[in-house]
This record gives sequence, C-alpha cells and structure tokens, in this order.
Amino acid sequence: MLNPKINADDGQSIDPISMEIIHGKLLALVNEMGIAMQRTSMSPVIYEVLDFACGLCDTEFNLIAQTNGITLFTGTFSAQLKSVVEEYEGQIQQGDIYVTNDPYRGGTHACDFAIIRPIFSHGVLVAYALNVAHWVDIGGAVPGSLPPDATSVFQEGLRLSRIRLAKNDILNPEIVRIITENTRLPEIALGDLNAQMATVRIAESRLMEIIDKYELQTVNDAFQNILVKSEQKSRATVLDLPDGIYTATDIVDGDGVTTDPINVQVKVTISGERIIVDFTGCPPAVAGPINCGRGALSSAVKTVFKALVAPHEPSNEGWFRPLEVIAPSGTIFTAEKPSPTGWYYEGSVQASELVWKALASLLPERFSAGSYSSLCVIYLSGHTQDGEEFIHIEPTHGGWGACQDRDGANAVISLTDGDTFNYSIELLQAKFPLRVKTYALNVEGGVGAGRYRGGYGIIREYEILADNTLLTGSFGRNQTPPWGIHGGQEGSTNRFEVIDGKTGDVAIYGRLNERKLFKGDVVRIITGGGGGWGNPSERPESEIKADIDLGLLSAKRAYAEYGYKVAEGGCDD
Amino acid sequence: MIRLATDVGGTFTDLLGYDEQTGKVYSAKSLTTVLNQSDGVMNTIKTAIKVDGLNTQNVDFFVHGGTTVINAITERKGVKTALITTNGFRDVLEIGRGNRPDLYNLKFRSPQAYVNRQLRFEIDEFTDSEGQSVSEPNVSELKKIAAELKKMKVESVAIMFIQSYANPHNEQVCKQILEAHLPNVSISCSHEITRLWREYERSNTVVLNAYVKPIINKYFHSLEQALDAQSLTCPHYAMLSNGGVALFKQAVETPLNLIESGPSAGIAGAARIGELIGEKNILAFDVGGTTAKCSIIVGGKPIVFSDYKIEWTRLSPGYPVQVPVVDIVEIGAGGGSIAYIDEQNTLKVGPKSAGASPGPVCYGLGGTEPTVTDAKLITGVLDAENFAGGEFKLNLSSARAAMVKLAEQLELSVAETAQAIIAVAEANMINALKLVTIQRGYDPREFTLVISGGAGPMFAASLGKELNVKQVVIPPHAGIFSAWGMLAARPRVDLRKTWFKKLNQNAISSLHSLIDTLKQEARAYFEISNDQNIDFQVSLQLRYQGQEHSVTTRIHSDILTDDIKHAFHQAHKTAYSFNLTDAAIEITGVHVVGELDSQVITNPDIKDENWQIEDAIVGHREVYLGADMGWRKCRILLRDKMPLNLAIDGPLLVEEPTTTTLVLQNQQIIRNSRGILILKTIGGI
Repeated sequence: MLNPKINADDGQSIDPISMEIIHGKLLALVNEMGIAMQRTSMSPVIYEVLDFACGLCDTEFNLIAQTNGITLFTGTFSAQLKSVVEEYEGQIQQGDIYVTNDPYRGGTHACDFAIIRPIFSHGVLVAYALNVAHWVDIGGAVPGSLPPDATSVFQEGLRLSRIRLAKNDILNPEIVRIITENTRLPEIALGDLNAQMATVRIAESRLMEIIDKYELQTVNDAFQNILVKSEQKSRATVLDLPDGIYTATDIVDGDGVTTDPINVQVKVTISGERIIVDFTGCPPAVAGPINCGRGALSSAVKTVFKALVAPHEPSNEGWFRPLEVIAPSGTIFTAEKPSPTGWYYEGSVQASELVWKALASLLPERFSAGSYSSLCVIYLSGHTQDGEEFIHIEPTHGGWGACQDRDGANAVISLTDGDTFNYSIELLQAKFPLRVKTYALNVEGGVGAGRYRGGYGIIREYEILADNTLLTGSFGRNQTPPWGIHGGQEGSTNRFEVIDGKTGDVAIYGRLNERKLFKGDVVRIITGGGGGWGNPSERPESEIKADIDLGLLSAKRAYAEYGYKVAEGGCDD
Repeated sequence: MIRLATDVGGTFTDLLGYDEQTGKVYSAKSLTTVLNQSDGVMNTIKTAIKVDGLNTQNVDFFVHGGTTVINAITERKGVKTALITTNGFRDVLEIGRGNRPDLYNLKFRSPQAYVNRQLRFEIDEFTDSEGQSVSEPNVSELKKIAAELKKMKVESVAIMFIQSYANPHNEQVCKQILEAHLPNVSISCSHEITRLWREYERSNTVVLNAYVKPIINKYFHSLEQALDAQSLTCPHYAMLSNGGVALFKQAVETPLNLIESGPSAGIAGAARIGELIGEKNILAFDVGGTTAKCSIIVGGKPIVFSDYKIEWTRLSPGYPVQVPVVDIVEIGAGGGSIAYIDEQNTLKVGPKSAGASPGPVCYGLGGTEPTVTDAKLITGVLDAENFAGGEFKLNLSSARAAMVKLAEQLELSVAETAQAIIAVAEANMINALKLVTIQRGYDPREFTLVISGGAGPMFAASLGKELNVKQVVIPPHAGIFSAWGMLAARPRVDLRKTWFKKLNQNAISSLHSLIDTLKQEARAYFEISNDQNIDFQVSLQLRYQGQEHSVTTRIHSDILTDDIKHAFHQAHKTAYSFNLTDAAIEITGVHVVGELDSQVITNPDIKDENWQIEDAIVGHREVYLGADMGWRKCRILLRDKMPLNLAIDGPLLVEEPTTTTLVLQNQQIIRNSRGILILKTIGGI
C-alpha cells in the first residue's frame, strides 16, 4: 500500500492519491444528482432557473460536497439537516426520507422543499444526501405562493416542518395527500418530489459503491480531509487581508407593503484568520415578505465569503469555518415566525451586497462595483386561449458594476442566482399568450460612468394577448441605484411599467402586489446599469467614442458624464 | 478501388488509404500546415505517391477532415460579418442567455458576441408562433441597410428573424433582396442551418456560419483544384460533425457542420468496429495528448445532439450552436497531462497539458513538468528505444529526474509516484466514462469499450476492468483512428425541426406529412429520387407536458400513438429513472436522419500466415504493475505478427507503430481474423 501522508488535525489519515480519487467521485456524485434533477423536473423555476441544490453532508451535518446552479443555497444545508435530525433523534432508519421547508429553521422560503435521505452502510449511519428545490406552487394567497404584499407566513402556503415522508422507502400516502391537496399544481409538485427523491437515491447508491471499494474508514477520513484542507486554505487567505473594521450602509427600497426606505448596515471585522460579520443595528423585521431568516442570511454572507476565499473551488463547510455571522434575532435579516419571507432573496441579496461593499476595496482583483442586485422577478398568470391555466415566472438579468481593470458586465443574472438562463422568447411565445416586442440593452437608463463604466441592464417588453392576465412583481433598487467605487458614478435603477393598451397611460412600479391586465396592455421590464469604478475624467476618449459608435452612449450623455464633445458631423444621437 | 482519408490534427496531418481489392494499406504523415491546411494534406498525398506508390486515379472515395472551421472561430479569424434581425432584438446576440456558471466570480462577464452592436441591424417583420408570416420585411428599409453594409465593407451577412423556425419565408424574402443589392457578399439565413427554436442559439449559429463561410468556400475550392491537379478526381467528401460525410459543394453551404469533424470520425469508426465484431452497444474512448473524448453508441448508431457549445467550460457558457454534433464528453486528461501537487497537498493530473510542444519531459523538447506519458515510460509501459515505431527516442532518465520532486512530496518511490499519476488520470477518465453511461441510464456491462488515440490503449486494460465492460477493443490503426473512421463514414444528412404539438391522433396525421416532407428534402439533398439507397431513421423529441427538456425517442415506420407513447415512457425511464405514464405528452421536434447506403471500409480478414506466438514476441520488459504486483517481466508482442484468434494471457504489451497496449494479469488478448485486438478480463463477464 501507499504510505499514509496527509495528517488531518483529528489524527485520521489518508493517502493523497486515494484522497484525490475519492474527492473526484464525491463531486461526480453531487454532479450526477444535479444533472438528474435538472433533466427530470417539471417546473421551469428548476430546469431553467436552476433554483435547486444537491449535496452530501457527514453525520455531524458538515457539508462535504454540493452542486448548485445558484448561490442562494450556499451552505444552507447544515442548519436544515440539524433541525430534522434533532426532531427524530434515535428514530432515523435506513429507507427514511424527510422533508422540510421551514424558513425559521435553516430554510429559505416555504417554496424551497428540502428532501433528506440518511445513508446507511451495514446498519451504520454514514452520511446524508440532500436536495433542496423551489416548488412552483404550494398554495397560499396567490398562484406561485409568493404574494409580494404578504404580511404573514400563513399567506405563503404549506409548510411541512421536519416531516418524515417515507419509511422503508414507502411514501406516506397521507403526507402526499396533504401536499396534493394544498397546491394549485399537484402534478408538477409530485413530479418535482419524484425527481428530488430520485436524486437522493442516486447519491445513496454512488456512496455505497465508493464505500464498497475504499472502505468506510477511508471514506470518513476523506470527508474530514476535505473539510480540514479547505479550512486551512480559507484561514490563510483571511490572514493575508489587513486587519481592521470595515463598514457599509445601504437602503432597501420598500418591503412590498410600503415604499418606505429601509436603512441597513454591516460591520466586518477582520482579525488574524477570522472574519466577523455583524449586522447589529439593522431594523426589525418589516411587514412585507422581503425579510430573510437566519439560514438565508448565513447563505448570503457565505456567498460573498466564498467569492473572497475560493471562488472556483468546490464548496464544503470547511471554507466557512473562519467566518462568524452576528445578528440579533427578529431583524429584517433574521426574521422569526410569523414574519413573511416569500421574497427573501430581495432581502438576502442586500445582506450579501453590504458585505461585498464593505470589502470591495480590500481585494479589487475579486470584486466589482455595485450591480442591479435585485432578481427582478415578475409573474404573469392567467388562462391560455384553450382555457388552460398558465404561470410565467421570470427573473430578469441586469447590469453589473465595473471592475478595477474593465467595464462592468452587461445583462447577467443577479448575485443570488448563477447559472440561470433568461427565458427563450420563442419558447414562451409558443406556450403563453404573450408576445415579446423588445429584448434589448437598456441604453436609455444608462450606467454608472467611471474610468471603467458599469454594464448595461435590459429592457424587455411583453404585449399581453389574453384578458385578465395577472401581473405581480418585486424589484429592489427601484430608488437607490447601484453604488460606484473610487470616484465611479452610481448606476441606474430597476422598475417595471404597464402601458395601458386603451388609454396609453403609463404606470411605474417597484413592487406590485397584483394588477389585472387586458389584451393590448404592455408590460415593460427595465433593469439598471451597474456602478462605475474610478473617476470618469480618467476614461480615455477612445473608449468613450467606442461606446458612442456602438450606440450605447448618446452625445448628450457623453458630454454630461465625461465632458466629451462629439466632433462636428459625428454621431448626434 | 482505393478509399483515402486525410485528417488534419493539431500537430500532424495523417493520411490513411485502403485498397479494398488488394488489402494494401497506404499511410503518410506530415506536419500540419497552420496557414493553409490543404498544403499539409497535399504533402501527405505526395508522400503516399512517392513512398507507397499510390495511384491517385484508382482512388474512388476521398474524404477530408480538418480543423479549419473550429480554428477560424476560436482564433477569431473569420470575415467582417453583419447581422440582420427582427426589430427590437438586435441585442439578443450580445445578451445571450445571461447565465453566470462561474457563480462566485463577481467579475464574470458573458463571452463577447461575434458581431458587434454597430454591425447588428433591425428590420420590421413579423411571423407569429404558428408560423404565419404576418408582415414581410420592407424593401426600401432593406435597401438602406444594404447600402450601409456596402459602406462598412461587410463581407458576410447573417439573417435571423424571430420565429423563423416555424416559417422561413421572411428570411428568404430578405435574402433575395440583399442578394440583388450585395452581389459579392456571402449571405446565410438561420433556417438554412437550423430550424430549431431558441432565438439566441439560432442567432449564434447563423452568425458563426456566416463568419467562416467565405473562408471555407475559398479553402475547399483551392483544395479541390489541388486534388484535381494530382488526378484525384473522384467525388471529394468532407467529414461532418454528425458522423457522416458531405460533398465539398454541400459542406461549403453550411460550414458550421464541420465544427467537430475529427472526434466525429472516431465515433463513426467505433460504430463500424461494432458492426464488424457484431456489437451494437459501444463506448468509444479516444485519448490524445491533451484531452480524452468519450461517446456512446446505442443500437449501432452514434447519438447526435444539436446543442453543441463552442468554448464551453464549467465556468463559461461558451457559444451554443444548433448543428448536429455527435454527443461527446471531453475531459482534460491525455498523454501530455501534467501532474502536480496542489495547495491542499493532493495529487492532481491535468487539465493543464504539455501538449505536443514542449511535450512530456521524456520527449527532450524542453518539457520540465512530469506528465502521464512520463509516468507510462517510468513504469515500463512505453519503450524509450522503440516509441512511435522507433522514429523517436525517449529520455527515461530525464523523466525520472522530473518525477523525483513529486515523489519526495508524496513520500513515495519514483515508480510508485508514476503509478499514482496513472491512477489519478484513470480515475478522471472513469468519471467521464460513467457520465456517458451510468448517468444516462446505461449499464457499462452491456457495452464494448473501443479505445483509440495514441495514449488510449495504454489505459485499455485498467479502464475495462474498472468499468466492468463486456470487452475492450483496440481497433486497427488505433493511433490515427480518426482517419480510419472517416473511411467508415457514409454521406449523411440530419434534418431537425421544432414542431410543438400535443401527442394525440390529430398530431399523428400531420406528423406523417411532416416526416414525408423531411424525407423529400433528404432525397433532394442527395439528388436522388427513390428511397432504395437511403437509410432513414426517424426520431421525435418528446416530453411530459410541463417539462422543458425532451427525450429523443426513435420511432418506426408505422407511426402509432400508442407505440410512440410506449417508446417514450421507456426512454424516459432509461434516462431519468422514472416515468409518468398518466401524464400528457408533447412533441417538440422531429429529427429525420438520411444516410446514403454506400460502401464503407470493409476491413476484410487478414491472410493467415500461420503466425506463432514466438514470431510475435520481440522481447521482454520490466513493467511496474502497482503496489501489489510490483515489477514484472512482461512479454512484448508485435501486433502485426500475433497469431490469429489465439487468447494470450497477460501481463504483456502489444506494440504497433502508433500506440502500445498494456494487458494486465488475469486478462487475455486476442487478435481476431480481421486484425482487431479484443481484450477480456478472465472471470469478468
């Protein structure tokens, strides 16, 4: 045999070759779960938006390997898993499957259902496989279960907090009936449940194969090794950062119930190899559903922390060990029952951005200026010509902030998401009574000027083709634009508009509970441009001119923002 | 009656020819000529004439595969291209899908569009989603755009209208008008290349096609002339990405179809090997210098998708194109893959590669970092004196010296370190092979692993054992198998169309006429009027109502609703482990493949010269077979001298000019009567 070499802190040991091979197999395992989930799911929010995550935790609830298409589930598994295991202490058996969707116990919002499978080897518990996925409807006040003006979690649909769903691999039909009776779309819900259960079973058989080949002790050693090595690297990165206290403030533009500005803040303390992120001083939970629970807050901070220490390494609990998050209970970022959390990602992204803003100057090779931030989700629902019910849910892409060495990215998805595609116009036109009239860069809104300018947001226009179509939406940064840095200017804001087909009246919205639309009405979705980096006066004329030539910058704006005069006979847009 | 293939690779251009009557083999190699690949091609032909006495007048099938298209795209060496699209959508090409696969990179940006905003024009026109042309593009507006394009000296134009997948009429109108006003400009319409929905992917497809079309036109024209000048006047074919071939005149119309011709040829070859040994389920694996590519063949036919992504990585969305490409999973593991210890003290192999230059340390061309090839040399699998048929001496001592540092870090001996590198590289390969089998619902035990590429057969034994495949096959000319595969390819056309309907009796009758129309197009493509010479395969893209991704389901000549349903439930279960037999089913697309029933390489029986095993053994070598076995003296056999149909026990090595095969303990190898090597594990299935 090869000589044991790597000595983990806890004295366990594994040779580096087996280590690499087992780690590769664990990543392939979670990857396979993800592929199966994406291809089998019946809801667009999973297969297009990838609003799900799959992973494996050890028996101490530490995340060992995870695959996620979006960042919202960064490190959310441990707390959820712990809540379930504590509930069923001593009763967890081989063949069990659990479900939980509790925002106050490590979860995110009630739509996100976690499916948990304990994995046993020869009667010994060895790991847990998890799959969390956004279900498209779980009842509640409105289709899609996310009323933007909810004031209580009880308007946000069914919650199954820490429930055993299957014993001996037999689904409890009563729980299944509770689910099907409490959703508007029972077939899709069951389809997604099936897909989730299939993925945790895949994890189980793959882990069994690995244990059969390498023996349980070696696999356990590999688990510990993955955690310890990531932790060491993470601590080293933090140690290299200058000690100090870094703060940031921001404004959340309305909670869906009122449009009042909500002031939020963070204090980040770097001390040696530790980072403490403190949200003390943030306001109490608000009336509307943009609150997030402690689990979602932790994920929001971990997202930016991961960007800082290891943007390209596979995720596991080890990376996050130098990180501590402090926040009193019951705030906008640590909401408690029964505060609504349906649109939690609107709140949690602002927590992420606070940390990002506080640290941006510290490591400019990793960070950009402020982005359009909000996922800018709209819902359009109603009936097709054939009388079938439809729900079209769509997050919107937007402009990102400039970096120290280049302009910001145009039209990419917000920080909360990730490998999230926009919805193909041709696909949705074939399915829904909607016609897209424009999908373009939001040139008119502009971007934050700077040595490097922000990236452009988008404009997307829907003509409504069926009467009584309902529109719902919640866009953050509808008043407070993305921040610039080192003299870069602020970007532009997000909003959506309805142009009345009969009167031509235009109504402007940031967050809208519900509006009934009629044939010929137009919904115009507008996302902002990112903040600039550095003083606009330092931007070379050639780059200003290039933007004018591309039709991205008008002569008027070029003069206003950069003092640049277009030569006679040039473009006079 | 000679069939001749030329394959342009990154470093070398290979020629392989078979005389079907005499069994004579022609082969030649030349350095790839980067500027004009046809020079390298002609060099190999001239060499074959001079050295092997090739008579070009006897060649009746010529096929060419190359990297001109993919190179022009990845090196941004196409022509100045403009895009004309529907009013309101000129930024679709730039916005792309807006996804950030590089989740935690706060500086992510989408890949840059191939046509910049200034060269993207919009025009009023509208086709509805049912395929009705509601308003045609306006002639005077188009004339203005044409004048602008002329002023900007645009060389190629791409036309892409929203919903043109359902009706190409408006694109055709636009093209006619532009052709009249821009006589010297190349014009590509999206519907000419793809009739699938998704506006961004279709835009990208037509733009990239337009971007390379004038270059490819010129390239094939000059190659054609050069071939004619050598009296090589038989029909000239180009290798496509779908496992088939097309005449040069067909290839230049939609050059994007040539994007992955090399790998596709290897898979066509693997399918042919399957036919020759009577196996329909093949796992094809080709290990080159930098990457390994795997693909699956089920029921004797390669799987062809139309969602290929150029420059895709785990962290970049790349450029999706809707052209038919054989389904390939590619990983960064090859002979040149570099081994190193990462920050977390684990041993990594690849994806960084020493490539062909400087190459592995043992090549002595300046490489300093230990590679998989160095590990294979140290463990005795490769012979320093007899590499590449002895043309090239390897330096064992420098390979060992480069390995010392790693060995010290790992606290292992140099041989153990080399073995560890091989084990890690193999683990990467196994994960990729599992991705194309188990993860898609196929059981490797029902598959034959066909392994090729210069570095492939060195891994054949251990991969076969670990995957527990039925058997492993090392085809003839394994080291230049792409060229062999081209000789196995038939003229082929893939006609795919998005067609969105609920599966019911109404749909079936219109489905009949749609399939007939597509078959008629295939006949027109091949310029023949009867079906006798065309082998048609029809499949449907099906999904449960509400799903996004469809499952390709092959259907038979009797199109019956119940049969289709049954086949789909089965296919869904295979792919995803469950099915929903009560759910409504939707058709999203129809795929008709037409293959011209024509002669391919026969690889006839070898004349048995009654070789004895003693004739084949050219020596012995110490090979390190891992910690358990240690160093073992292994027999070295020459492939061409091996007795036919005799099972020979491992451990042993089989050498041939382009590669080396390692056979382990408890394994046997047979050279069958066609000269194909078949490796089985004793006690395996």
